[in-house]
Amino acid sequence: MLRLFTDTDTDITPAVAAEYGYRLISMPYSVDAKTVYPYVDFDEFEPRPFYDMLRSGVLPTTSAISKERYIEYFEPEFAAGNDILYVHFSRAMTVTFNAMDEAVAELKAKYPERSFHEIDTKGITTISYTIVREIGDLFKAGKTLEEVLEWAGTEVDKFAMYFFADDLKFFRRSGRVSGLAATMGTLIGIRPIIYMSQEGKMVSCGKEKGRLKAMERLVQQVADLGEDFKSHRFVIGHTDAPELAQEVGKMIQERFGDDFPIDYVVCNPTAGSHAGPNGVGVCFHAKHR
Amino acid sequence: MDRIDANLYLNLVRGGAARLGLHRQEINDLNVFPIPDGDTGDNMYMTIQAGCTAAGSTLPEVAKAVSAGMLMGARGNSGVILSRMFAGLAKGLADVREADVKAFSRAMQAGVEESYHAVSEPVEGTILTVFREGVAAAAGSKDLDEYFDLLTSAMDLSLQHTPELLDVLKKAGVVDSGGAGLLYIAEGMRAALHGEAAEVLEEAAPAAQHVDLDAFTEDSVLEFGYCTEFLLRLQRSKVDLETFDESVISDWLAAHGESLVFFRDGSIIKVHVHTHTPGEILNHCQQYGEFLTIKVENMTLQHHENHMDERFKKGRKAFGVVAVASGAGLVDTFKELGADIVIEGGQTMNPPVKRFIDAFDAVDAETVFVFPNNGNILLTARQAADIYDKADIRVIPAKTLGEGYYALANLDTEAGDADAIEAALAEAAGEVATGLVSRAIRDSGNVREGEYVGIAGKEILAAGPAPEEALLALADAMDAGSRDVILVFAGEGGTRSEKVREALEKRYPRAEVILQTGGQPVYEYILVLF
Repeated sequence: MLRLFTDTDTDITPAVAAEYGYRLISMPYSVDAKTVYPYVDFDEFEPRPFYDMLRSGVLPTTSAISKERYIEYFEPEFAAGNDILYVHFSRAMTVTFNAMDEAVAELKAKYPERSFHEIDTKGITTISYTIVREIGDLFKAGKTLEEVLEWAGTEVDKFAMYFFADDLKFFRRSGRVSGLAATMGTLIGIRPIIYMSQEGKMVSCGKEKGRLKAMERLVQQVADLGEDFKSHRFVIGHTDAPELAQEVGKMIQERFGDDFPIDYVVCNPTAGSHAGPNGVGVCFHAKHR
Repeated sequence: MDRIDANLYLNLVRGGAARLGLHRQEINDLNVFPIPDGDTGDNMYMTIQAGCTAAGSTLPEVAKAVSAGMLMGARGNSGVILSRMFAGLAKGLADVREADVKAFSRAMQAGVEESYHAVSEPVEGTILTVFREGVAAAAGSKDLDEYFDLLTSAMDLSLQHTPELLDVLKKAGVVDSGGAGLLYIAEGMRAALHGEAAEVLEEAAPAAQHVDLDAFTEDSVLEFGYCTEFLLRLQRSKVDLETFDESVISDWLAAHGESLVFFRDGSIIKVHVHTHTPGEILNHCQQYGEFLTIKVENMTLQHHENHMDERFKKGRKAFGVVAVASGAGLVDTFKELGADIVIEGGQTMNPPVKRFIDAFDAVDAETVFVFPNNGNILLTARQAADIYDKADIRVIPAKTLGEGYYALANLDTEAGDADAIEAALAEAAGEVATGLVSRAIRDSGNVREGEYVGIAGKEILAAGPAPEEALLALADAMDAGSRDVILVFAGEGGTRSEKVREALEKRYPRAEVILQTGGQPVYEYILVLF
């Protein structure tokens, strides 16, 4: 049979994972040299204390898991005669998948009859969450692996995500957003708008003055790029800014009607370490990213 | 004075050292020849200084002690040559109890010979030429006064001619640095001869050299090699000291390195050579003796230090930022925004041009954007920019901290060339409205002394008994409600209270209200609208 895997960088919680039968690979972050594996070292993610820690100036780091750890996750499945589909966060944002490739190559040599498939969500946090769930829904609806892989071939690029952050220092430190290097420092009151590119990278695409303008910009992105978004998942993610997220949701519904559900998701701590607190983003089905 | 005795000789050397010490930075700045090799002024000064502590009761003793001190202290090409001049002088004075002009002149000639001898391939247009021509011109003098007059004037003339002898000097538009250093020494000696007290000898050691290790990276090509200097003590166990001909070593070195300076003093061999393979040089020379001192430096790093003209510096960043602000919070804010240097200054404290110049030097960028953040300081910044020629300085016409803040926040270094960026910054500065809340120091119009006034530009737009009231009234008068962001910097006299934020948020629900600690003097609040 086929075993589904995803990882904690996609914002999928153990509860949601269980709903679809995903096994969850824990992607760690470190604070003060102590490494934390989400949902291994804690059962439930409490965003407020974590993001308050970031607000107080603590800057966590994230680390890539090793080949051995991937083997620990995958080998029991191969040994039991299962095949694997791993729907993961963006390859373009990490080196951890090199370790995974090595692990898979090793396991394939050992279990030549088993197969390993992957879908790169080309994103992290909210956008990956959306795609992982859409894929879970497809399997629930009885789609085959081949059909899902074919779907992913075109549809992954049709989920767009636009977001803003409160403080650039987290992004700047992680060096994971292109286009930000041009701006030199921490901005107060000016928010860069960042989107997830088709290459699976975060790219800055302008700045907005003030929180309201930034929120309006997110709504405008939906208006400009949105396609058939009401019949797909519409997700608003945030880094411990539930009120702002709700406000954006309200603006979305005022603009486009309230005849579709909006899912609110809090960003996982590993990705949140790179984004910093008080950020909000929208993920929606679009013409392109 | 018609004779030089032990005391006077030492005074002459000290006078020369003192005069050079006063000018050593000037000499450092002349250093473009032959290739980067330390700072000539510092090297010569430290060399001659090492001779100043000599002691002895007779002239030959003192002259020898000066020479020995300089031998041990010799640094750099010019320093080594200088030490040889004094070594020759000591030889010439070896059996002279008191030197008259003839004896001194002969000894000086011995110095010329010794110094030429020390350099494997003497180059004209250098310290050697200046010394030789000076000594030749002074040779027939009737007394010591005339000797030093002629010596210094001929050396000066010779120095001025050095660019004609050496293309590299001509191209750089300078005279030879070693020659210039030697002229200062000769002038200092002349002054000492006339009994002029040597100016302060106890001078601070030269500033620690800032070696930028990043000047030589993983991808650098070893262009200049290593400046390799050592003192080698010939060993009886390895060579026959009496019959050993040191040219065996110097010939080999001349074939294996460049800029060779070489001499032997008794059993000590001094070597200064530029090579790409210092290990080979050291290994070879060790077969004749053992090292007393060794110094090996990557000349790319020296090169880097030496060229104070920053335009030649590799790895210099493209853009830098200098801003002016006062108040700890504002200084931090500008630093976090990306300012390399924040000059403390403001309404009541206008920084001088020199502060800007120093800041430009320290920023070390091709193009420096300057945010004066005050109308009075704008002119100073422009003046500094006018006289500064080591970088492209762009003064952004930000006349308030708010304008500077917003403009800097909009700095996008990839938005085009320096002109385009400058235009965008100036435009951004123009989009901001800045208001100031301050205490009235005298009655004026409707405002009473001690009241708080809200000012924008040169106009008083609001007043109130407390700064917070003046702030709210000022925000109203400036139509804060039409803006996206209301940024308030609380000064020394203001408070960063939640009340102020809440009051503003309540009044202007559309805008984002941000309250920051500015810590600035004079203004209780700075209101920035954009």
